[in-house]
Amino acid sequence: MTFEGIYTPVVTPYDDDGNVVWDALEKVIDHLVDSGVHGLISGGSTGENYTQTVEERLELARFTQEKLSGRLPLIIGTGTMRTPDSIALAEGGAKLGADALLVATPPYAVPTERENALNVLTIDRAANLPIMLYNYPGRMGVNMGEEFLDRVGRSRNVCAIKESSGDINRVHLLARDYPHIQMSCGMDDQALEFFAWGARSWVCAGSNFLPHEHVALYEACAVKGDFSKGRRIMSAMMPLMRVLEQGGKFIQCVKHGVAMTGLYSGPPRPPLKALNKDDKRQLEQVIRVLKSTIDDITAGA
Amino acid sequence: MTDLLTREEYRALAAKLDFPTSAFIDGGYRPAQSGKTFATVNPATGETLAEIASCGAEDVDFAVLKAREAFEDGRWSKMHPSERKDILIRFAKLLTRNRRELAVMESLDSGKTIYDCETVDIPETIHCLKWHAEAIDKIYDQVSPASDEHIAMIVREPVGVVGLVLPWNFPLLMLAWKIGPALAAGCSVVVKPAEETSLTALRVAELAAEAGIPRGVLNVVPGTGPDVGEPLGRHMDVDMISFTGSTETGRRFLRYSADSNLKEVVLEMGGKNPSVVLKDAENLDRIAAHIVNGAFWNMGENCSASSRLIVEEEVKEPLLERIYAHAREWTMGDPLDPEHRVGALVSAEHYGKVCSYLETGAKVLMGGKAHDGAFVEPTILEAPADSSVAREEIFGPVLNVLTVKGFDDAIELANSTEYGLAASIFTANTKRALRGARAIRAGTVTVNCFGEGDISTPFGGFKQSGFGGRDNSLSAHDQYTQIKTIWIDLSDDGDEAVG
Repeated sequence: MTFEGIYTPVVTPYDDDGNVVWDALEKVIDHLVDSGVHGLISGGSTGENYTQTVEERLELARFTQEKLSGRLPLIIGTGTMRTPDSIALAEGGAKLGADALLVATPPYAVPTERENALNVLTIDRAANLPIMLYNYPGRMGVNMGEEFLDRVGRSRNVCAIKESSGDINRVHLLARDYPHIQMSCGMDDQALEFFAWGARSWVCAGSNFLPHEHVALYEACAVKGDFSKGRRIMSAMMPLMRVLEQGGKFIQCVKHGVAMTGLYSGPPRPPLKALNKDDKRQLEQVIRVLKSTIDDITAGA
Repeated sequence: MTDLLTREEYRALAAKLDFPTSAFIDGGYRPAQSGKTFATVNPATGETLAEIASCGAEDVDFAVLKAREAFEDGRWSKMHPSERKDILIRFAKLLTRNRRELAVMESLDSGKTIYDCETVDIPETIHCLKWHAEAIDKIYDQVSPASDEHIAMIVREPVGVVGLVLPWNFPLLMLAWKIGPALAAGCSVVVKPAEETSLTALRVAELAAEAGIPRGVLNVVPGTGPDVGEPLGRHMDVDMISFTGSTETGRRFLRYSADSNLKEVVLEMGGKNPSVVLKDAENLDRIAAHIVNGAFWNMGENCSASSRLIVEEEVKEPLLERIYAHAREWTMGDPLDPEHRVGALVSAEHYGKVCSYLETGAKVLMGGKAHDGAFVEPTILEAPADSSVAREEIFGPVLNVLTVKGFDDAIELANSTEYGLAASIFTANTKRALRGARAIRAGTVTVNCFGEGDISTPFGGFKQSGFGGRDNSLSAHDQYTQIKTIWIDLSDDGDEAVG
């Protein structure tokens, strides 16, 4: 499977008691489809998967797939602490007709590269779907290193890797030594660098609320190869990236960003808390400037 | 062999096999960059065993790039010879430990009988790797005879990045014949297994990595001839191609070389090998056993198969009677049944080609039937010397009988072929045996037996059977090295200095 474009890990709208607000989720999905993103991810960390049971996640995935009804490809996140849970998600994903799986390292266990690779292959065997790996050492404690990448190559389902380490050397390694594994940007503040090294897709939480702007960067860099325009767009996005990647309130910002577009997203589940007034004001300010700047750039200014 | 399993046990093993499906490049499995695959089929049943990465030029480029990096930084090429030896011996041991799995995989993928896989292919494969490993630190370079004024050293260096293009008839053994000496010499290799039989080469590459062969040194890139073979043959950064297969494809590799960087090309190609039986031959029963083995072993899918029986008319009938008796013992059927000596032909396409020779109208002396799109009975035909059956390489279990009137006649007929790979001569007369062995234009001539010699003797052909080097023996090692002269002036001659 070829991953091209903007893949949005969809937020999960909750009410104040932490129940999923299904109508709101449907509106978010429709909004994203209409905004021109290229695929959706259900059950990613942006969807707060770590607060959800396997049953809830499967229900969310089923709902998302149903509402999408083939309009965009759907990727199912299978990251969990327990391998049997990941297998259940993978199998469930295959049953409901998902297009691919997002397979992460189980957090907290700190597996060796061999153990981690065998874990991926186990999940793969359960579903036999294309796989996008998810390298996020910042949260999992381990990197998907060369031994891991060599071993997971046993399966041709392993098509791509969402690289979220933030380490530019990893981009070089993947681009040069693993050209068969499509590199997908998973580090928003390095999107320009990823595209320069040939990435064709970007998994970005920010596209939940700024889909046009993310698509604009993708089109400038990956489709047209116009990196001077890309640099201007990226530069305009950087203040947002700083808030998102370095502000420590990632989900909260994304959810508030969605609210700013007029859609309901609700508060995050505990232990996280919604943004306070100051944070909201700062984010709103950043988004306003960003949108008008990028509008100007894409309008040819 | 006493340690063969039962058919049921082999079937159980087959059911549990985990087939490798991706290319092996730079120390790990990788799908084709295009994501394309092709099906590899069990020819005995028609079932698809696995979908294998169908690589292309971009995968070849990447494998060559990685092989070049490995060669230039010396992680293998400059490793101490005894260290390379240790790793290759460890590699051979790992193959031994996994021999059952490899034997079953080979049988399923190629249609070869499990009997042959267990008793010939796998042990010979392991033996070959060990032999070359053991040779690494026992081959010395030379110093030439010279005056006191200089020293001239003649040293060997590995050729560099070598493309190894394999046939489907001995997927593992031909892999060993090539990677054994190439790796021993210090080369980095890119292997293209035959499309029909890629499984065991891919698995062996994984075992090589486990044994400690550094990444990038042994790469296996499965795919078709046009997609992988040609880009390899035309690659500007491949130093040498070693090819075993058809004469037609061999010609192409010469063209690719001429069109690209004039890479060295070693060719080991077809044969139409004679077994000459003179009237004074002793022990016709034993001769019959050799001839049946030579013609029908590996379903005749063997470039050294003795596919032409050239017999003096006085012994023709008694010899044929004995040949029929021996051939009856070669039962045909399920390759995984260790009782069977004849399995399935490698593919439906090849089956069709072999069958077409059965329909030429040649007189059938024995066999002649084909079954289930895969099985061809051991067949003996009697077709004239100028017929296609008598001249072309059939690569199936088909022996053609030609009758002659004397020694000279026999040698002339034995030589009347464009090929020159192997030949056998059966006679009790030593002078005739030696005269015949010298007169027949072939790379290997066996007397009073059928065979190819063994790992210690060179194997390769005359005429259109190939050139450029020899497999097996130290000659094989030589073909993956090149010779360099280092000339050192030792003179202390002030007169010649200017100024």
